[in-house]
Amino acid sequence: MSIASRLEPGAVVVPTLAEGRQPRPAEDSTERVNRLEIVVRYALYIVITLFLFVPFVMTVLSSFKTSAEVIAFPPTFLPSVWHPENYLNVLTQISGFPRMVFNSFFVTFVVVALNLFFDSLVGYAFARLEFPFKNTLFAIMIATMVIPGFVFIVPRYIMLLNAHLVDTYFAFMVLYFLQPAYILLMTQFFKSIPRDLEEAAIVDGLGWFGIFWKIILPLARPALLATGILTFQGMWNNFLDWVIYMQSPTMQNIQLGLVSFRGQYQNQWNLIMAGSVLAILPILIIYVAGQKYFVGGAATSGMK
Amino acid sequence: MAVSVAPNAPAPTAKVSRRSKGGGMAIAQRRAGLLFVTPYILFFLLLQLAAFGFAIWVSFHHYDLLALDNPFVGLRNYARLTVNQDFLIALRNTTEYAVVVVILQTAFALLLAVLLNAKIKGRNFFRTTWYTPSVASSVVISMIFLYVYHPTGLLNSILGLVGIHTTEAYLQSTTWALPAIMFLNVWTTAPTFMLMFLAALQDIPKEIYEASMVDGASAVRKFFSITVPLLRPIIFLVVSLGIIGAFQIFDQAFIMTKGGPLKATLTVALLIYDNLFVDTGAVGIACAEAIVLGIIIFALTLISRRVIDTKIEY
Repeated sequence: MSIASRLEPGAVVVPTLAEGRQPRPAEDSTERVNRLEIVVRYALYIVITLFLFVPFVMTVLSSFKTSAEVIAFPPTFLPSVWHPENYLNVLTQISGFPRMVFNSFFVTFVVVALNLFFDSLVGYAFARLEFPFKNTLFAIMIATMVIPGFVFIVPRYIMLLNAHLVDTYFAFMVLYFLQPAYILLMTQFFKSIPRDLEEAAIVDGLGWFGIFWKIILPLARPALLATGILTFQGMWNNFLDWVIYMQSPTMQNIQLGLVSFRGQYQNQWNLIMAGSVLAILPILIIYVAGQKYFVGGAATSGMK
Repeated sequence: MAVSVAPNAPAPTAKVSRRSKGGGMAIAQRRAGLLFVTPYILFFLLLQLAAFGFAIWVSFHHYDLLALDNPFVGLRNYARLTVNQDFLIALRNTTEYAVVVVILQTAFALLLAVLLNAKIKGRNFFRTTWYTPSVASSVVISMIFLYVYHPTGLLNSILGLVGIHTTEAYLQSTTWALPAIMFLNVWTTAPTFMLMFLAALQDIPKEIYEASMVDGASAVRKFFSITVPLLRPIIFLVVSLGIIGAFQIFDQAFIMTKGGPLKATLTVALLIYDNLFVDTGAVGIACAEAIVLGIIIFALTLISRRVIDTKIEY
């Protein structure tokens, strides 16, 4: 309970990095000391950047090499000959690759759509409506968010098995049609919207669903984007649930497909790297476009 | 417009509507509220409460997915865990892994956040690139690190550049396999928590630092006597989320080492998977393991709250 109640609504939006937070001490420093300090400082930033980013650069470069060159010793940095056809080979050599891409996109889009609707609907009720057991339900939701997911895996698997939903897309729709972390995110957002608009609508005789659908949702764009982007990331990157609940070879997503390809062709490093680039590409595009919404993800990851 | 009497003073909607149209509105609101929240109630009852109860029930039975009859065995599944070598190994590996990863990733995340909070040029560039490891999927990260840890992969290439020539196969080594996975996870998770720390750092009132400037406190002292104490609630949150995540380590160990070599990277989560899908008739044990894991995580979260006193005194 205490953990999630600390997630503030402000956490949804990226910090704007306000200027001048740490006033630089203007004490004794001569020009030279200052300059040295700046060099040391930037060296540190650059080392960290290399540390966190170079593996990605090398992955992209490796995806254009021959498999022998990827693990050649001594190593090469740039490919000696560029092999863009590696990407074509991924599409043709990994059996069922188009189907995996479809599975990934389909499940991700459906789950995102379900969450946009249900997370905001439930979030709206918690934020604005008065109904019996509201506070109890909200407290339950917060408290159960910290239950480790592995506790639920076996029973959910057996339940889905008995309902004949294992190995079907419906498994994901049942398990992820809403996510408490994003209900919480929506609730906090709705609490920040002024009530005037709804009050006018009540007088106009618009029902509660009408108010939610026509007046509130259009205002909730930032929170909906955050929910959508974070759900996209979670579903696109999901591996565990596909391993547990999907069993037939046609029901693999791109992540699982990459793992089984690597299991079959351990030495095709260039194709493994090209496949990795393809698997990260959609989420990378979304990250670059919607960076600020990922802060909320920081607050909610690990709580599912 | 009787309703919008005080548009700026947010009165509870229920009160407003009751005042305006008597009980009718309140009843309509109650009905709408319950209806809207029904999806969550279903989610809670079926996927959480029933699933949790079912997990406990299964853990008290000898359970086989194919058997028609699953006899009650009481606490025997739990008792067996205390003498099960695999479980004890997995528990030790997982605990070792979690302790190291949680400490390192929290410290590294805090360092990254403090660096990003400083006044420097190119801050947005650094933030964007530093966060990238947290965007990629566990599978992609595992693939990248299979290449990094290859005997002639990125790590040994870089070591070669600084004069350390080795062709160590880290993931095939009982000494290095677990630390290798620890390192990978610190690398991916620290940037996630970096953003949480960064948001919290920006909430610290500037005046507090200004006061300490008058005192002439050094940067390091300011960090430990002002920043860290003020960040205690967020440190607790990061440590708790870290504990929850680290104790459930599955993907990377499953993909990169399958628990090997010689069970050096066998984790509780991997064991649960094996008991569910590989071994027959061990589903009850899988549930018992999951519940024990849940209890350990819960207990450690409570302890960490005690240790990281979350109250802030200005």
